[in-house]
Order: sequence, then structure tokens, then C-alpha cells
Amino acid sequence: MWNPYLPLSKSTKRISTFGSLAFVLFLWSLLSGLNIIGPDKLPSPWDVGKAFATLTWSETDQQKTVERSLKEVTIEIEKDAILPAEQCNQVCVPLYDNPAIQSIEECEIDWKDEQYPEGILWCSTKIVEGQSLLWEATYWSVSRVFLATLATLLIGLPMGILMGASTRINALLSPIVDPLRSTPVVAILPILVIWLGIGEVMKIAFLVLGAIVFLIPMVRDALQAVPQTYWISARDLGATEWESVQKAVLPMAMPRIADAIIASVSIMWTYITVAEYVNAEKGLGQLIQNAKRFSAMDQVFVGIIVIVALALVTYQLMVKLKQSLYPWESEL
Amino acid sequence: MSIKMDNVGQSFPKPDEEGMVCIVDSIDLEINEPSINMLLGPSGCGKSTILKMMGGVRPFGVACPTAGEIFINGEACHGPHNDVVMVFQKYANRPDLSIWDNVAFPLTLSLWKKRIPPQEREERVREMLEAVGLADKAALRPSQLSGGQNQRVALARALVLRPKIILMDEPFGALDAQTREEMQHLLIELQEKHNCIIVFVTHDVEEALLLGDRVIVLSTKPATIAENFEINEPKPRSSIWLGSTYANQQREKILSVLHASTSKDFQ
Repeated sequence: MWNPYLPLSKSTKRISTFGSLAFVLFLWSLLSGLNIIGPDKLPSPWDVGKAFATLTWSETDQQKTVERSLKEVTIEIEKDAILPAEQCNQVCVPLYDNPAIQSIEECEIDWKDEQYPEGILWCSTKIVEGQSLLWEATYWSVSRVFLATLATLLIGLPMGILMGASTRINALLSPIVDPLRSTPVVAILPILVIWLGIGEVMKIAFLVLGAIVFLIPMVRDALQAVPQTYWISARDLGATEWESVQKAVLPMAMPRIADAIIASVSIMWTYITVAEYVNAEKGLGQLIQNAKRFSAMDQVFVGIIVIVALALVTYQLMVKLKQSLYPWESEL
Repeated sequence: MSIKMDNVGQSFPKPDEEGMVCIVDSIDLEINEPSINMLLGPSGCGKSTILKMMGGVRPFGVACPTAGEIFINGEACHGPHNDVVMVFQKYANRPDLSIWDNVAFPLTLSLWKKRIPPQEREERVREMLEAVGLADKAALRPSQLSGGQNQRVALARALVLRPKIILMDEPFGALDAQTREEMQHLLIELQEKHNCIIVFVTHDVEEALLLGDRVIVLSTKPATIAENFEINEPKPRSSIWLGSTYANQQREKILSVLHASTSKDFQ
């Protein structure tokens, strides 16, 4: 018999999860492998994998030259003489201050430079530089979401709690807060740019705005959903008005407030690309924007997958945290 | 200790139209002795409203009471009184707190924190948990207890403040017959030990007969006192006592008053 309340066993759940993911991957491979959808529209999974690897770690060779006036380096050599290769290494290697460099490809002394008549030492070698574009972008995006979360909680929680605790404050603020929920936040971005410039403040303000319009009403509703008996009981036992909110209503509302926080952070992850639309030098949204500009669809996919993965991980962590903080909620 | 209602009435504004509807009308009641007083009336007659007025809890958003005055210990009372504590049918136990913390909850409020030193607070909680037989369950949460045990927690929380007057709103209404009997005995025992006034709202005539020193029968729409019965029989009273001639007579009288007041409503 079909029973919607029947809990699934862990193994069934795991098989279902991996099964559906594997199905999507299979369908995707089929569509791009058989060239049903071209790579300009849908990059193949292996291309996305390759792009992921490149973005995660890429190395580039760079010619690096160092110039020093002979006044600054101690070197025993007669004027107009040619620098022997052995001495060249000895003198030049310390100048790079890089443990990876043990020998130098080229070096010579220019005795005829006009600016440095005492002679100038010129060293040149190749340096392999590795960088992780993806890590850098993730670091910036996560930092922005984290700061925006802090700001949202700092402003949104007190406002929501006050609105939930006092019908007067609610009557005063809800005509302002409630319509904002259905305002197209993306359309507000240009206004924020005019007000706050194109720097980090604008980006974080945009994320805060996008999330807080949902957080405040949800926190308020969480408080109002607590049965009145708890409030009456606390008042009857001698609690002051504030105490009955702080010690009776608020603790009871906490699981739903936690849900509101989790939802707001999830909303922020969906807005991060928009926030990084304008003048972002680093970030996952910028990475996607950049890739789109060069029609690198595989990199666009990498960006999206990473954002989704980060959002899922933060979601799961927060849900776990909530369950351990309020285990009594599931027992109600 | 005393509680006195002087010509108390309560009206509410009608939801959709002008004017007021009277729920409670000219209640005169005086309780001076430690005793169990049963407020008996049909469901929805306004018993709970009377109890809330006594408790000084006014969640209605209108003046309460709209007529008359309530005196606690001889003083006119306009808010929750420190000597009066309510117990609810749905226990109002906090699911997020342990049984111990539930009972200790009133003592964490600033009002009682100032008056009762920490050591005494702990002693009181322990004493109350023992009195209701839940000393071994102190660390559990309300969801891990049965309905009867939860109502014991609510009783312990009320009594931990050592109130002079306890107001109970159909506290055993949700319990099964056997648990209810246990709780009734516990209540009688606790009332005698603490020597307090209990005002107990019920719609169950047998419960009223088993517990009450006094049974106040209410008529309905608006609620007024229809009749006052004194029952001077030793407690606890058993179910066998309920079959006695005296109990049957009282039951008949109470039922006839109840019928008279409800049939008035149908005419």
C-alpha cells in the first residue's frame, strides 16, 4: 500500500539520490555525446569536467626579469667585463626570493646604460605560476554571502521580533515591509548603484535587501504562530511584557526563526550572480559573466554547479545545526 | 486569603455589527476559606471567561471585566495577581524545556528571582516534583511524558509559587478516566497540604461532586450563578460514594438546575 508517511530506509534513499543524479548525467552525456545538442548550447560533461579542472588549478609560464644597479648588489667584477655563468647564478638567484628558482636562464651586465653609468645587472628566467581561479572566486562569493548574512540577521531579527511581539509596531512597519516582498529586487540594483556606488557595499547591500524582505515577515509570523496560552501563562506567572516575549514566546518560535534564516541564506545564493553583475573583479558571479562573454559555456556550467553545491552544503549544515539546537521541534 | 466578585459582568463587541453581546452577567461570589470550588456549566457558557477575569489575564483587547470589580485579599485587582496562578487544560508546558526547567520556569522570572534566593528556588522545585511524583523524570522533556504526567508538571509549576488561589480551567478534561481519578486524588491531597483556594472549572457533574466543597452552577447566555451547592462530605470521595443516596440527590438537583438554565436558551 502506498503510504506517504512511511519513512524510507537509508539505503533506499541513497540509491534514489544517486540514481536520479546518475540519470541526469546519463541523459546529459547522451545529448551531447550524440551531438543532439551542439557544444555551443550544451557543453558535454567531460568538457565541463575539464573546465572545472582548469579553473581549479592552472599553471602558466612567465618570463620574469629583475634589474639592479651595481651599487645595490655586491659583485666582484671589473668594469666592462662579461659576467661568467657561475657568478650569474650566485648573484641573481637571491634576487628572486623564490625557493622554486635554483638557476637562472640568462643574465648580463649592461655597462652602457645612461641612467646607471656604474653598470646595471639584468637577470631573466621563466617562472611557473599556478593559480586557482575557482578557489579565488568561491572565496570572494562566500565572504560576500557571509557578511550579508551577518548584516541581514543584525537588522532583520530585531525588526521581525519586535513586529511579532507588538501589534502596534507591526501595524506601523508592515505597510513598508510587506510590499517589499513582491518588489523586483533585481530592478532595484541600478538604484543601489546610484546610491552606494559600484563597490563592495553595493553588492552586500543588494544581497541583504534581497533576503531581508523575506526574513522579517517570516520571523514575525514565527512569533505570532506561538499559541497564545504560553503568553497568557507567562503573564499569569508574573512575567513582565518583555519577559513573556523573551522567555516564553521567543524560545518557542526559535525553530521557525531558524527556518527563516535558512531560507534567507538560500535566497542569497540565488542572488549572488546578480550582485556580482556590476564591476566585480572576483567572485563566482563574475566568473560566469566573464565566461559568458567569451562563449565558454563549459565554464558557465562550472560556475552554476559550484554555486548550487555551495548552497546545498550551507543548507545541509544549517539544517543539521537547527536539528541539534532544537531537537524538541520534531517531537511536537 | 479571599477572592470576591462584586456584580461582575463581561460584554464583547459583536464581530460584524454595532453593539455589545453580554457573556457574563452580574456575578456575585465570595470565597474566604481554603476550599475547592467547582464552577459547573455547559460548554461555551462563559466559565473560562470568568476564570480569566479572576486571573487578571486579559487577552481579549477589550476592557475586562466590563462591569463590577474583583477583589483579591480585599483589594481591587486589575491585573495578574501574585497570589493567583492559573492551570490550563492544555498544560501550557514548554516543549523546549526539561520537566525540571518547566517547574522552575516561574522562579526564573525577575519578579520571583528577587524574592526567592537561589537555594530555596531549587528546594521548592525538588519538593514540588516529589509531591507530584515526577522526581525521577526531572531530566525528560514534556513530549516524553503522558497527558496525566504533563498535567502534574503544570500543577507543580503553579504550586511552586505557593499561591493562595489556584484557578484551573478544565485541567483534567483531556485525560482518560483512570488518570483523571488519580489526578483528582492528587489535587485533593495537594489542596489540603497547601491550604489554598482552588477554583475549578468543569462541565462534568460527577467531577464536581467528587472534588467540590462547593459547586457553583452557572446558567448560560449570559453566564450567571444559577445555584450554589455546599457539599460537606469527607474527601477523597470514592466512586462508591457517588452511588450513595446523598450524592444522587445532589446530582439530581444540579442536573435539574442545569436543565432549567439550558432549556431557557432553547426557548
